[in-house]
Amino acid sequence: MAQRDIADIITHMALRTMALHFNYLPKFRKYLRTDDGWINFSLGMRTEQGNVRQCITFKDGKVRVHGDIPVNVDTEMVFFDNGTLKDMASLPPSEVLNLILKNKLIVRGNLVYAQIFSFFITLFVKGKIINMMKQQAHERSKESRERAVQPEAAPAPRVKKQLSAPARDPGVAFLDDPYLSQYSLADFPRLEKFLDIHFTRKPAICHERPLLLTGWFRENGFETRKDGSPWVPELRQGYAFKHLMENRKPIIRKDDLIAGTTTTQEIGVVLYPDSHGTMIWGELFTTPYRQLFPYDISDDTREILHHSVFPFWVHRNFKEWVRETYRSPLCQSLDDRFAVYFLWKTAALSHTVLDYPKLLKIGARGIIGEIRRELEKDQAADRLKKDTLEAMILCYEGLIAYARNLSAQAAAEAREEADERRKAELERLAEICARVPENPCTTLDEALNAIWIHWVGVHMENTNAGFSLGRMDQWLQPYFVSDLKKIRGRKKREEYIRRAIELVGCFYMRCTDHLPLIPDIGNYLFGGSSSDQAITLGGVTPEGEDAVNDMTYIFLKVTEMLGIRDPNVNARFHRGKNSEAYLRRLCEVNINTTSTPSIHNDEVVMASLEEFAYPQEHLRDWAATGCVEPTLSGRHIGHTNCMMFNMVAALEMAMYNGRHPLMRWDVGPKTGNVDNGSFPTFDDFFQAFCTQLDFLMDNSCEYNRLLGEAHSVLRPTPFISGLVEGCTAYGRDATKGGALYNSSGTACIGLADITDSLMAIKKLVYDEKKVTLKEIREAMETNFENNGYLHSLVRNKVPLFGSGSPEAVEMANRVTRFIHDRFGAHTNFRGGRYTAGFWSMSNHVAFGTLTGALPSGRLAGKPFTPGLTPEAHASRNLLDNIRDVSRLEPKSMNNNIAFNVKVVPSPKESHQEAVDHVYSYVKTYCDLGGMQMQFNVVSSATLRDAMAHPENYRDLMVRISGYNAYFVTLNRDMQMELIERAEYGA
Amino acid sequence: MRGRSEPAARKDRALIFEVKGNSLDDGPGIRTVVFFKGCPLNCVWCHNPESKKAQVEISFDREKCIGCGSCLAACPENALDRAETSFIDRKRCTLCMECTSACPSGALSQVGRYLYIDELMAEIEKDIPFFRASAGGITLSGGEPALYMDFSSNLLQRAKLKEIHTLVETCGFFDYRKFMEALYPFLDTIYYDIKIFDPAEHRRLCGAPNEKILENFRLLTAECSRDGKELLPRIPLIPGTTATSENLTSIARFLKESGSARVELLSYNPLWLSKLSLLGQSAPCGSVSSPGEWMPVSQVEQCRKIFSDFQIK
Repeated sequence: MAQRDIADIITHMALRTMALHFNYLPKFRKYLRTDDGWINFSLGMRTEQGNVRQCITFKDGKVRVHGDIPVNVDTEMVFFDNGTLKDMASLPPSEVLNLILKNKLIVRGNLVYAQIFSFFITLFVKGKIINMMKQQAHERSKESRERAVQPEAAPAPRVKKQLSAPARDPGVAFLDDPYLSQYSLADFPRLEKFLDIHFTRKPAICHERPLLLTGWFRENGFETRKDGSPWVPELRQGYAFKHLMENRKPIIRKDDLIAGTTTTQEIGVVLYPDSHGTMIWGELFTTPYRQLFPYDISDDTREILHHSVFPFWVHRNFKEWVRETYRSPLCQSLDDRFAVYFLWKTAALSHTVLDYPKLLKIGARGIIGEIRRELEKDQAADRLKKDTLEAMILCYEGLIAYARNLSAQAAAEAREEADERRKAELERLAEICARVPENPCTTLDEALNAIWIHWVGVHMENTNAGFSLGRMDQWLQPYFVSDLKKIRGRKKREEYIRRAIELVGCFYMRCTDHLPLIPDIGNYLFGGSSSDQAITLGGVTPEGEDAVNDMTYIFLKVTEMLGIRDPNVNARFHRGKNSEAYLRRLCEVNINTTSTPSIHNDEVVMASLEEFAYPQEHLRDWAATGCVEPTLSGRHIGHTNCMMFNMVAALEMAMYNGRHPLMRWDVGPKTGNVDNGSFPTFDDFFQAFCTQLDFLMDNSCEYNRLLGEAHSVLRPTPFISGLVEGCTAYGRDATKGGALYNSSGTACIGLADITDSLMAIKKLVYDEKKVTLKEIREAMETNFENNGYLHSLVRNKVPLFGSGSPEAVEMANRVTRFIHDRFGAHTNFRGGRYTAGFWSMSNHVAFGTLTGALPSGRLAGKPFTPGLTPEAHASRNLLDNIRDVSRLEPKSMNNNIAFNVKVVPSPKESHQEAVDHVYSYVKTYCDLGGMQMQFNVVSSATLRDAMAHPENYRDLMVRISGYNAYFVTLNRDMQMELIERAEYGA
Repeated sequence: MRGRSEPAARKDRALIFEVKGNSLDDGPGIRTVVFFKGCPLNCVWCHNPESKKAQVEISFDREKCIGCGSCLAACPENALDRAETSFIDRKRCTLCMECTSACPSGALSQVGRYLYIDELMAEIEKDIPFFRASAGGITLSGGEPALYMDFSSNLLQRAKLKEIHTLVETCGFFDYRKFMEALYPFLDTIYYDIKIFDPAEHRRLCGAPNEKILENFRLLTAECSRDGKELLPRIPLIPGTTATSENLTSIARFLKESGSARVELLSYNPLWLSKLSLLGQSAPCGSVSSPGEWMPVSQVEQCRKIFSDFQIK
């Protein structure tokens, strides 16, 4: 070899030092050994130019460093240049992540090894890193105080005012004032206390679930049984689930009316090492100190995860299973680079809604009975069916065991309880848990406990990402009515209604007891998201009648009083069926909570699903899932958030002839060079864009299919399969297409940015011939710094989506039509078709940071607009936005949309007027055929003040795109995106 | 270009400087406001200075200018000069608007366009679903809609055919008989500005006498109360000018005598100053005390009290 590069020598020396410590010092060495034996792997480090090439191997307790990288290295870290390598050594962890996100550092091979390596590094420098993180946190809070622009006057304090109902809906049986205006949070000290915990308690990582499961698998085998025969995955999961449910700690939260918890922590982070759990490995020391969403972690938990849990899962997780089984397919490498799509199936297949009416009606015993009858009935059942159904039975036995443990726990606590009231409550809980969910429910408190206990089970089996509760108002109303019918006398009935509100409030607060595990890099991608447990209210019954009832209003009251981000409340408004009073109430709750519920135009959402020809009574039972997407309750695995798809990447690739600029990768088809007149007409250019889209769609669907297979192998879900119509009769797990209906839902991001960019190209290049495509390409490369004139032109002289331009609306429809048709042509692993959605969670910010300047004039790194919301400067008139969005074709948007509107009631306006105005916008939008709408009722001045004084705004909730988050917990880019959104008076 | 200025008498078209949708401050519900260009008064503090002249104007916003020079190349009259503070030599400018169409940033823009009634109605009709949901409608404002009496009448009649709620904001300086014939029958609500009670002061600061304004108001109050139409007097609070206790007391007494029980006080808006400079004009001095500042709430409350003392709310 010629002269060694100095950077290479330094890297070598650093790795050598590391190796020495591991080889000779016990306090380091102990981390090489785990319950599964020695940690063995090799990790290469090199620069793109190749001047640095080093490799470190960990093998049977020995650590060695080599001056080259073998071809069969497990994991490789490729640095853009020496500078990036140096950054890696000197930057705090969050900025190292940024290097990965920005594609300056590429990790190839098994990502878990990179996590272990990162954990090893922190063993050496954790003291320094933690100090640096603390220092940073201090500086950030100082800086945000200094930099935040002070509003002209301190924003008025946020007070919840309330109207009373102008009328009673036909489905409301007992509430005199459906708006329940006489109640406020102050009437429910129990809920106030829970809320305080919610806002002040730092979540902590819980090792209970992974430890119990890993222990069981280690004991009984994962791929094969102890006797060497292969496991049927369904059966393995069934046994393991039962073991977990029988042995987890039955906990009743102090003062709660609902029994059971998802973790052993007050607010716990649930770990799923079979999905993305090991992604936190590298942060086990630093996670309490990170800027965004820090988690507490005990020393005990850290040691358990490192030694007893994570090593078992290095290869047994969805991503790595695909990598090893299919040898790093292109579709996966694209996903690993973050910039073009993100597949949620790497973490979860959760987005669905279960058949809770069935659980309430027949109980777990009834479900087991049905499964047994199916086994007896179907003589021709194949082995897989028998095993699948057997697995389901095991799961429901596990559920019953957990409920009984809770009952015993409640009884034991009741005996110790000195306070008579609480003693009675605990005795009641002991009674409830002894009966349900095992048996049919008879009362509202039983029904809520049964759902919650089952919900705990759901999250012991499935990743807590978007699993949704469904039409709670519909399903609970019968129990509310039957309870009240037994009560005589106005005062007693009023007392019951108060109690019902409190119970639902407790249920909401239970839903906040767990958080998804988000590795720090995820905070930049999905900042602020909780589990997104959607609840859906109102709409019509399966028979097509007005579904609004007493419980609808009780849920709305609780939503308003608590103002929490999760459960994510969605409301269906069915024109001609649901009342004006109901719609007004939705608007009022939205104003009072600043951001929820999200409002759906019922008929239009259903019309968007026409192509599937679902029976009407099934279609009418749809419920929002995760953010906004429709699932047909109880019979549909729609994995409605299977991927976040960056449409804008395809535009960049069309402009650069298949090259993705940020990834520096000529990965797409060669569709033509814009510099040499490859595109004589606009349609020619549009075609190139479509070709790139197709390429990305093909790949993302392929990866989704492979991950679907991974789920069926690594983590079938017999527990939820027991509550999804179709799985029992068909004898197949939900992950294998057992549900009556199967589909996969996409979230396509950047519609407004795409439309505006295409409009700029069409108008300026082709119609008016003011500039050439080459000039636009050059401006994109220089971030318009070379061409202020062009920037000004595209910003001011192009009719944009949302400006009231029919041509722009048609352009948007042309894009959605293409996306819908082409996604619709793909089939997923479960045999279902794809749907196209146009909402973005927070990925409009993340994808924005990974995208260069656009023909629309949007500058490099800036966020896209949320969902399909028009650009802030498209029009000064909100009505233009509303009209344009309402003109988008629903049938091309069959996984729903997110249209965000920020309204700011003026101080002159009364509460009644503010409600009237928001009502008028929503009502007209629905009349015009719009699909979904969500408001942020807060001013930029308030948001700025919240940036400067986060301590005063811990409960300020904002809607990102389809989900809610607490503003003060968001990363800075997202905070600025919210501030810069168009703001309209109301 | 033709038609830069034409008599305000045409029935089929009028000079409009803005059609503003989604207005929540100009009457009930969600409203579309039609701003006419041209006013018989000439109030020094006018918060819409671009509405005063009944002719097309050109406006230049230095903040928006990116200095690309497109306009300099486009101007056939050499009327643009960066060194000049107002940028446009308005004596040379023939309002050909070559520069405004060349300008990519919108720094140079045309103020006012002649709109045909059909164009205007098409614009308005888009908003009808919002009017229905909110009990809103259209508001004719300005400038002075009554200056375009025939056009306004035409517009209001067309609106009424579509069952749109109609409202006019007027300065009251119109021919009463004509107003009653052409506009009144098609109006649901009238917002009527009363500024200064003293005739000499009014002439000095508003550029016209006020006897007709006050007389028209007296007559209209009686008419409206007979017909059950809403007539709301409005007073812009201009520090040191209209917002003096003497002036407000006189107006309150006048309202009381005329039989009006309501009033709306419009608190002072200093943004007119920056608008003036866009049109190449400078602020008249001394007419308004502390012209650049918003009025403190306490001061507005004091003004309000003057009226409540007369049982006017």
